[in-house]
Formats: sequence, structure tokens, C-alpha cells
Amino acid sequence: MGKLERIAARQDRAAGRGPTRRGVLLTGLGSAFMFGFARDASAAQTYPQNASLPGNGAFEPTVWCSIAPDGVVNVNIIRAEMGQHIGTALARIIADEMEADWDKVRITYVDTDPKWGLMVTGGSWSVWMTWDVFRQAGAAARTVLVEEGAKLLGTSPANCIARSGRVIAGNRSVSFGDIVSHARPTRSFSPDEMAKLPLKPHSERRLIGKEVKALDIPSKTDGTAIYGIDAKLEGMVYARPKLPPTRYGSKVVSVDDTEAKKIKGYIRYIVLEDPSETVPGWVAVLASTYPAAIRATDALKVTWTPGKTANVSEKDIIEHGRKQIAEKTGGSCVFNDDGVDEAFSSAKHVFERTYTCASVLHYQLEPMNALARLQDGKWEIHCGNQWQSLFLPVIAKALQVKETDVVMRSYLLGGGFGRRLNGDYAVPAALISKAIDGKPVKLILTRSDDMQFDSFRSPSIQTVRVAMDDQKALKGWQHHASAGWPTGVMAAAFMEKGADGKPYDQFAIAGADHWYDVGPMRVRALDNDLADATFRPGWLRSVSSGWTPWAHEAFLDELAHELGHEPVEFRLSLLTAKGRNAGTAPDSVGGAARQANVLKRLVEKCGYGKTQLPKDTAIGIATTFGQERAMPTWTAGAVQVHVDRKTGAVTCQKIWLVLDAGTIVDPDGAMAQTEGGALWGLSMALFENTEIENGNVRDRNLNTYTPLRITDIPEMDIEFVASTEKPMGLGEPGVTTIGAAIANGVFNAVGVRLRHQPIRPADVLKGLSEKKSA
Amino acid sequence: MIKFKLNGRDVSVDVPEDTPLLWALRDDLDQTGTKFGCGVGQCGACTVHVGGRATRSCITPISSVEGAEITTIEGLHPEGEHPVQVAWRDIQVPQCGYCQSGQIMQAVSLLKDYPDPTDEEIDGVMGGSLCRCMTYVRIRKAIKKAAAAMREEKSNG
Amino acid sequence: MIKRLLAGAVGVGALGGLGFLYYAWYPQIAPIERPAASSFSAEQIDRGRIVAAEGYCAECHTRTDNGTGPELAGDYKMETPFGAIYSSNITPDPELGIGKWSEEALRRSLHYGVSRKGEHLIPAFPYDHFTKMTDQDISDLYAFLMTRPAVHMSRRPNELPFPLSLRIGQAAWKLMFFTPGVYKPDPSHDALWNRGAYLAEGNAHCGACHTPRNLMGAEKKGSMYDGAVVDAWIAPPLNDKNPTPTTWTEDELYQYLRFGVAPLHGPAGGPMSPIPHRFLSQVPEYDVHAIAHYYAEVDHAAERQGHDKAALARAMEQSKIDLVGPNTLDPDARLYQGACGACHYNAAPMPVLGRPDLALNNALWLDEPTNLYQVMLHGLTAEEGQSGVAMPSFYNALSDADMARIAAYLRRTRTTLPPWTDLEKKAAEIRKTVKTPPVNSSH
Ligand code: FES
Ligand code: FES
Repeated sequence: MGKLERIAARQDRAAGRGPTRRGVLLTGLGSAFMFGFARDASAAQTYPQNASLPGNGAFEPTVWCSIAPDGVVNVNIIRAEMGQHIGTALARIIADEMEADWDKVRITYVDTDPKWGLMVTGGSWSVWMTWDVFRQAGAAARTVLVEEGAKLLGTSPANCIARSGRVIAGNRSVSFGDIVSHARPTRSFSPDEMAKLPLKPHSERRLIGKEVKALDIPSKTDGTAIYGIDAKLEGMVYARPKLPPTRYGSKVVSVDDTEAKKIKGYIRYIVLEDPSETVPGWVAVLASTYPAAIRATDALKVTWTPGKTANVSEKDIIEHGRKQIAEKTGGSCVFNDDGVDEAFSSAKHVFERTYTCASVLHYQLEPMNALARLQDGKWEIHCGNQWQSLFLPVIAKALQVKETDVVMRSYLLGGGFGRRLNGDYAVPAALISKAIDGKPVKLILTRSDDMQFDSFRSPSIQTVRVAMDDQKALKGWQHHASAGWPTGVMAAAFMEKGADGKPYDQFAIAGADHWYDVGPMRVRALDNDLADATFRPGWLRSVSSGWTPWAHEAFLDELAHELGHEPVEFRLSLLTAKGRNAGTAPDSVGGAARQANVLKRLVEKCGYGKTQLPKDTAIGIATTFGQERAMPTWTAGAVQVHVDRKTGAVTCQKIWLVLDAGTIVDPDGAMAQTEGGALWGLSMALFENTEIENGNVRDRNLNTYTPLRITDIPEMDIEFVASTEKPMGLGEPGVTTIGAAIANGVFNAVGVRLRHQPIRPADVLKGLSEKKSA
Repeated sequence: MIKFKLNGRDVSVDVPEDTPLLWALRDDLDQTGTKFGCGVGQCGACTVHVGGRATRSCITPISSVEGAEITTIEGLHPEGEHPVQVAWRDIQVPQCGYCQSGQIMQAVSLLKDYPDPTDEEIDGVMGGSLCRCMTYVRIRKAIKKAAAAMREEKSNG
Repeated sequence: MIKRLLAGAVGVGALGGLGFLYYAWYPQIAPIERPAASSFSAEQIDRGRIVAAEGYCAECHTRTDNGTGPELAGDYKMETPFGAIYSSNITPDPELGIGKWSEEALRRSLHYGVSRKGEHLIPAFPYDHFTKMTDQDISDLYAFLMTRPAVHMSRRPNELPFPLSLRIGQAAWKLMFFTPGVYKPDPSHDALWNRGAYLAEGNAHCGACHTPRNLMGAEKKGSMYDGAVVDAWIAPPLNDKNPTPTTWTEDELYQYLRFGVAPLHGPAGGPMSPIPHRFLSQVPEYDVHAIAHYYAEVDHAAERQGHDKAALARAMEQSKIDLVGPNTLDPDARLYQGACGACHYNAAPMPVLGRPDLALNNALWLDEPTNLYQVMLHGLTAEEGQSGVAMPSFYNALSDADMARIAAYLRRTRTTLPPWTDLEKKAAEIRKTVKTPPVNSSH
């Protein structure tokens, strides 16, 4: 039997059913050749796929893991797998603490259940959030196994150690599997008990930080990996939306399906009624196949009265933000230090600059989709999602049922990047299924639908200003940022409270609350309500840390030049690690000193200021602290850029990154995430962006949306500082410094200062000609 | 009824002539390893081999592959051990993995045309295959590793 | 495949006079009983099969719209500016086909463009070429046709309005443009050349598509093989006006005609596709060599070939522009990279078979983007071009504006010719000629 057949058969056995053979017409053979690989509604996704099936009578010391009589250790993963190999990284933490045999570890991506607590995957939080819990869970398992193993070996636990899946006393030992099958341990731990268990010291780590092959990778090389879009259920029909002209407020006036009826396979259309107001104005088109749904949707004629934002443009949103910044009131302050107003009123010099960033689309490669049905009184939603805890209640509200009547089944995500933190796409699938009596329906957005419906990164405008005394010493700092607020729109309860007690979206300002010593600071976040009304702002990889350093790092460079300082020296002089920048345990031990450290190391590496580069070629530098002030991944980035004076094209030739993210749990995974992040940073700085036109994004597919491709990649040199501190996140910090480093590099190369991202050839040419005429 | 060879077996599907090969593969023939990305031939996620050449299945009408030989990621090697797949695992190329069936199929056909590809040749052929997780550095590495393995295999037998 | 109707050909109106009537009048040839299959030898039937293949009879005598019809049973629809006309049934059905035709009737129709009953045939039927066929070939063809299964199927009536529907008009056309006469070998050339010329000028009727026609729809004698528009495609020049950077050598022509793809010119698409795949792959190699040999002389390959090496090197350089090396921010280049580069990139020294090199391809070097657009919209099936491989259809994937961007970009970067004009408008026009979208893809 070929591998695929074996996997299919195993999945079938796991689900207690015979081999499935769907819709295949075979000529000349009748045996099992192809199977539906969609996961059965009752079988969770488990990796590696050729692992043995769970044995009966497994021991579950906590909800997080179990040990089967055959020694297989299963780790339950509540995070979404979207390329970070998160299951592997997290399972390493448990397995290391437990002293399990890695070859016997497998991971299960679980469906929603209240017992898991908060299910969210984003913000580069996964390792950071799970670190303590999983070490404790591993310790709990180890404790029981050693106790029971000692009994079997006829000795006391003190004489025993656990190693590689066995409990060992002198030269005698017993395997975890045998302990489970013979001793049948049942003890379980409360969170309080878990927290008291002794944990291994860093020196005893045997899996964490060591190279490992990610368990999910093999299935991603042979076509067997199952994503949301691959989910299939018997009897399901397909749906595609007919999207309204505005994200909100469009009302369906009339629908004419005369032409759609001519499409073979067309079933009907449904005007969605959505009590959760997630998808107002949607019309769904049902068909027996997806191509029929595509064509029937094109053929369906719908008229709407559009919402109020039908004429809003990107420029309107930016100008609205500019006005908000000009107003003294409004927004919420993350920092609002005493003395900041006085610093400015008594300043001899004020230096101020404004920076903007265009809208950026997620373009995760798997278009939005979800499969929904009502089965045995429960609504099942099959899809990949990053924030089940947030959207399960929304789905329940849309369906007007109790939350306990909804379950979200987990699938691999064909890219997340924050798009699937927003589960809005699951709602219409549920509503459509409801309209057809709970029958299974698979909603798939075409790419143009997906882009129009994206929850994209809001355009933003930021003003930074400093107050200086007559010696031009820094006396105060202000940073004002206006953008759409994803958290405000979708998860208001999760917003943080500012210095003034008012809630603000930490994901629309984080990064501006930097670790430089610049005197009293005001960092103000402004909710661009025109953006919020026009589209649904989304979290996008590194969220605000993808654009706030664009402002403060370009600004510091400008300021340094203005003051006649060398930009790197200038930054180092501000990274004093004093006061609130000294850092606190456990997350930011060392504070700004660690940021200074990565910056120094970076400068050494890249030869900044030392190497003689060809004409119009230069290195630019930026530094920041990754995701959030509360979980800083200290980051310094340099780029070598070349500017073509004729065309205005900026070429990024090389990227250097130095990061200090504390302990690195999975070095190869960390590297992969950082490579990807850096290239995202580059893509947003030079290659991709969109604009809002008439209330919608301008670009609808790759004919005009041009993200970075393989030809565009520069050389890359990435280094992690060796550390035993608590691990921070790495999914996003790679992104953060690149944009500003490029802007600074362009300035160093040709003396042109650019303050809008992305950097387009036309802007460079304009800058060059202005410089000439100046 | 359109007939062709899929992964070495004769198959026939009863779908309208203008059905994209992609959906016939995914929904009628249950080969979901081939992915839908852009639907307009510009991301490469849906790449399969038609007559041994990498082809974007999302915009290839099923009628135009009548009688052709088609290979999908599932049929590249019975055990998933094609040298390109092996290199992909060694180098740990995939992140989310969604683009990777297409990348692998494209890479296999690249190596047929250019058994010892330079960076330029890799870029030239792989430039149409978008990876949103940006695994490009590793794609280049894995292609070179696979190329070396395939040359080795050839010279040994 | 000749689907071009000769707009003017049906339009020669009123020429009067008895003399003309006399000229125009042909008697009916008496009907016969369909000859028994046994009256033909197997060899003769097989020779006839080759003659039929070399004249592509099945191409225009088999219905394709409205579902494919039985082979040779006619009803093939040809669009004309005046209305559609439909080809006749040439299976041996006594009532609706040519079952009652004697060999002489067939010969007269091929040599003079007159039906058995004495009606003038519309010159969409290229008897101006068939007139060159030898009696032996016609006799063999007769044997082949008479031994096909009879299909009792009538064609739809022509939609030509009066007076174009009057057959007498055809006679006038003949008077002006038609010179009957069997091919006469040219003693200054060798046998291979003469064989090629005989086929090309006669039965294979290449000029029917590749020679421009005058207002009356007759081939312009002075512009032989200059290229012409056929079914919204351009049949490129077959003489030295052919603009491709490398020469159509005898070998390139042979590869193209025999296998449907010339390594240095690209695959046969559109109306040309069946010529190699359906027909010339089924005939003796010698004949295909002969045609290739003949056209290598028509296009003066020997004199032009000297430049090929440099042209090839240049093309290989152009072929990779923007697909490799430092990143480009040109949006058109990026569109090309995403949509086309993976299949059309080539590295020196030679294009890979299966990677049609656009810097060498006819379509980019013609005066209009017609063929480029046609291929983009339709793609190529596994049966067309290079056998077994397919090119997708970009009908839904690229808008007119996108197609125009790619066309302009390629013309600019892959050729040395002046830019094409009105590209978006022309894309829309060519798109309109595609009746049903080939593929139902999303956008
Ligand atoms: S889905 Fe076919 S190329 Fe993108
Ligand atoms: S691995 Fe995610 S798109 Fe390539």
C-alpha cells in the first residue's frame, strides 16, 4: 500500500469507518486508489501522520498531555499551526521537562472546548504564553511517573531519575509505557499544585534549544496535510459570496438570478440575515460545485444601497488622522509623563516629522473558507482559525444559539499573518448552513473576494516631535499615531487602559512606547474612526510594531543628522537602561541594555561605517524591541540598499539581523520565522501595498498586487544572542526594523529622506529632483 | 466525460468542459494536495504536471488535458520520497506549507530542464511561485540539495 | 485549415452576356451507384488516406460547433461577413453525401470547382489549389472517400443573402481569378523540391491562409505568402517577410509541420494546430520533408541563416530580463513574472523544448498582437502545440488591460520592433471573437 493509502486507512480506522471513496470515477480498476483525505468530523489532526494510534488506558496527568501504555506521549496543542511549527516547539517544552523520548511524542491539534481556556494564536505569544504551563505540565507527568516507576522498581523516588522515556534507578529501569500499563496511575494536578512543582534548571535541558525536525513538515511535502479548504463532508454544497459595495451598511435592494439559473449546478441564492452584524449586506450563492458557484455568483445581479463609506479614499483616512493628531485632545496616552508639556513649552528647539504607511493586505495564500453544518444538535465549523475564543461566541450570536452548541474544528492554516485572528469568514458559512436546515456547506472566497473582504492593515499617520534646550539636548518626546483599531473593532474587551484610564488598542501603538531615554514622553494612540467605519482594520504580522518603528527609527536618524550626531552612537547614548527602561523580571530582564547589546553586535557584523560601498549604495540601521514592551524581543536590523538614480528603484542587497529573544526553544523554527518576518518587512517597504478607493481596496489579485517573490530576496545574515532568559516571541520581530532601515539606507545612499511607506520609485525620483533644485 | 491519466491511473470525470483542472482534481478526484491560491495563474499553488511539465491547474480547462498524463503532488512518488521531497524535509522548507505542493512540482520540473541550476535559473523558473511565508531562502537551498542528490543517483546507477 | 471565407468571392455580381453564361454552364455528370468497396485496392485506399490528410479534408468537412460531427460529414460552419456558410457532406451517402459521384465528378470538382450537378462551388473550397492535383492523387482520394462510412446527415443551409446566394456569381469570380491546370514540375529543381511545391501549392493549399486576398477574396498573386488574417489569427508570412529573429530553416519547418513545435519558433496553435497534429503527422515523412524543403527556399533560409547564432544569443539574453537578478519594481515585469515567467524563462545557450521562448516566437514579431492574444486567451490543449502538454487559458485570469500590459512589455523587452498600438482595444476585440470562455476560473 502506498503512503497515501496507509494514511487514509489509518485515518479511517481512527474514525471507526471503512475506507472512503468519494465521487471518483475510475476506469479499469475498482480497488482503493484515491480517498477523501478530508478529516472526519470526529478525528482531530495528529502529527506525525504515521504515528501509531492512541492506545486505550492512557494516563492524563493534566489536560495538556497523556502517556499511553505503549509509551506514546500525546501533547494537546491549542494553538493554530500556520507555519511556525508551533506544535513541535510546544511539545518540546513538555517533553523536555517530562524527560520523554522525543521519538514517541506526537501532537494533536484540538478542537474548541471550554477546558482549554483562551484559544488564540498571534502576537508571537504562543511560546511565551505556554512556557510556564507546559513546563509545569511536564513536571507533573514526570513527578507521577517517577513515583510510580520507583514503586515498580522497588525503590524510592529519590533514587530515581527520568531520562528519554524511562525511569532509571541504578542499572535498572522501566519505560513510561510500562509504568502506565502496570501501575495505571490516575493522579492529576490542579493548576495550583502544578505551579508548586520543581522545574529543571536550564543546564538540564535536553530538547529545548536543540535541533529538531518539525512534526508537521512531512505532511506538507506530500500533499497529505489537510487545511481548512480541504475539509469535506458527505453531501456538502459549495457557496461563494456576492460581496456588497461597502464593508458596512450596504442593504440589498433586489436580487435577480435569471442569468445564474442558466449555470449548471446553481442551486439558489441566500440573502444573509446576520444578528452578529459581521457580514451585513451579503448574498451567498449556492451550487453543487465550486466552479458553478464561481460562475453563478458572477452571473447573479444584486443591487444594494451602499453604506456611507462608499466614497472614502485612502487619502481621506490619512487626512482624518492628520486632523486627529493636530487636536490636543482625543485618543489615549500609553505614556504621559509629568513634565512633557513643560518641556515643549520651554523648548528652544522643536524638531518634528510626520510619517505615513499605506494599507497592506494579508494575502495569506489560502483564501478564506469555512465549512459549517448542524450535526447532532451541535453546529460544527470546520476551518483554520487563530482566535477561536473570540469568534466562537460571535458565531453563536449569529446563529442565535448557545456557545456550548458551537464547536470549531481545527485545521492547518494556509497562512495566518493575523488574518485568521479575525474569524469573520466563519459566520457566513454558519448562516448559510442555517438557511438550508443545517446541511453541510463549504464557503470559499475567490481571491478577489478574499482581498475585498480582507481585514487589512490600516493606513496610518504618525507624528514624532522632540523638545530640545539651547544645547540641543533632548528634553521631551511626543509620538502621536492614528490608525484603524483592530482590537477596538473586534475585541474591545482586550484593549489596554492608558495612563489616562481610557482604553486604547495596544496593537495600534505598541512599538512607539520605546526604551530610549529622551526625557518625559507622551505616546498617544488615536483611533481613526473613519478607517474603522470604512473597513475592518486587521491585525497583520507584527501589527503596529510593523509601522511604529518606521516612524521613530527614521525620526531618530533624521534627528541625529540634524544635530550632527552619528545615528548609531546617538541611539546608543539614549539606551541607558535607566528608570522604566531598566527592565523587569521575568520578561524584560536587562531592559534597554539588551537592546544596546544587539545594536552593537549588529554594527560589528555588518561593517556599518567601515566598509567602502559602491556609489549610491549604503547601509541603513534601525533597532526596536519586537512585539510589545511587555515581551520584548530585542532587535537590531541593517540593510544594504542601492538606489538607481535613473529609475528611482531601490534594491535591497543584504539584510543583517541580531535578535535577543531569550531562550530559543526551536532554533531552526526561530530562524525560519525570522527569515520570513524580515522578508515581510522588505515586501511591505518596497513591494506591496494597496490603497482604498471608493470605500474598497484597489487591488484584487496578483495582477496589480505585487508581494515579494523569490527573485527579490537579498542575502540574509541572522543571529540570535545566546540567552537563558525566558523565551519571547519570534513570529514577528523580524519584520519590525526593515522598513526604517531601508529609509535610513536610502538617505545614506543618495541623501533623500522618504516618509511614506512603501517606498516607490516615483517618490525616490521626486526626492532626487527636489534635492537637485534645492 | 473527460479521460486522462492521473498519477499513472486512467481516470475519467464527468464535469463541464470549462471546469478548471484544479477543481476536478480537488473535488472530483479527491487530490487535495493541489491548492487554490490566486485562481489566475500567478501564484503557482495549483501547479501540477501535464505531460511532465509544470502547469497551473487553476486556469487549465479540463477539456484541454483530454488524453494527457497528469501528475499531482500525491503521485510524484509513491512514498513521498522524491529527492525534491526529501530535500524539502531535510532543509525544513515548509512553513504553513500551503504553497509547497506547487513549489515542489515546479522545482521538479525545473530540475528536469536545469539539472544543476544556478540561482538565476532557480529564480527564472520559481519566480511564478509565491510563498507568502517567504520560505524562499530555503527553497533555493533545497533545490540545490535535491539537484546534487539527483545527480548522485544518476551517476550511481 | 481554411475557414476563411472569401468575402468578395461570393460577391461578384451581375456580369451579363450569353458568352458568360456559356462559360459558366457545366453539365450535370450522371449519378452512379456507389462503387463497391471491393472495387478499390487496399493500397489505393491507403494512398487516398494520405492524399486526404495532405489536403486536410476532414478539417473543413467535419462539424465542430454544436458538438463535434461525424468525420467528413460536413456541416462545418464558416463565418463570413455576410452570413455563415456550411461545408458539404463528402461521405459516400447517396442522398446527402457524394455517394452518387463518379471519379470524374470528383476530379471536376477539384480541378474546376464545380459540383456533380454542375453548380459552381464557393471558393472557400480551395479548388484554385486543388486544380494542381494529379489524376492519380484524385483517383486515390476517390477510393478513400468512397470507402468511408456513409453518414446520412445534411448540412445547415447557407445563410448568404440574395444575390450572393446565386451560384452564377462564382463563375464570374473564376473568370477573373482562376487558372486551372495540373502542377507542372520545374526541371530546374530536384525531385524533393518539386514534391514539396506540388503539395504546398496544390493539395495542401498553404496559400489559402498564408497569402493575402484581394477585395474579391482571391489570393494576391504579387503577395504570395506574405501572411494574412484568418479566423482572427494571423497566418504569418511564409516567405522572407517572416519576421522571426531566427530563420525558418528546413529542419525548423519540418519539426513544426511534423510534430507541431519548432524548437526555435514555438508551437503551432489556433487554426494551424491541426495541420501537424491531425494530418501531417499521419503522412510519409518524405512528404513533410518536401514541404519543409520547399518553404526553406521560399523564405531564403540559406541566405538568412548566418544571423541565427547572434539572434539566438540575443534572445537568450532578452528571455530572462526581469525574471532573474536584482529585483525589479516595474509592475508590468512583475505581472509577466507571475503569469508567464515560470514556463517561458530560458537560460543560454538554447531554449528548452517545452519552454517556448517568447523572444524567438512569431507572435511577438508580427505587426499585430493578434496571435499573442489568441494564445493567451485560449491556451493550448494537450493535443495542440507540443503534444501532451498544455498551456492554461488566461481568458478569465487577465483583463484586457492586463493583456495589453504584458503585450507591451514583451514587445518592448523581447523584440527590437516598434511598439504595438491600441493594445487594450485590440485585446477586447480579439476577446470578442472567443465565443465561450474556455475556462471557468475565478478572478
Ligand atoms: S491558484 Fe493557480 S496559479 Fe495561483
Ligand atoms: S509555506 Fe506558507 S505560503 Fe509558502
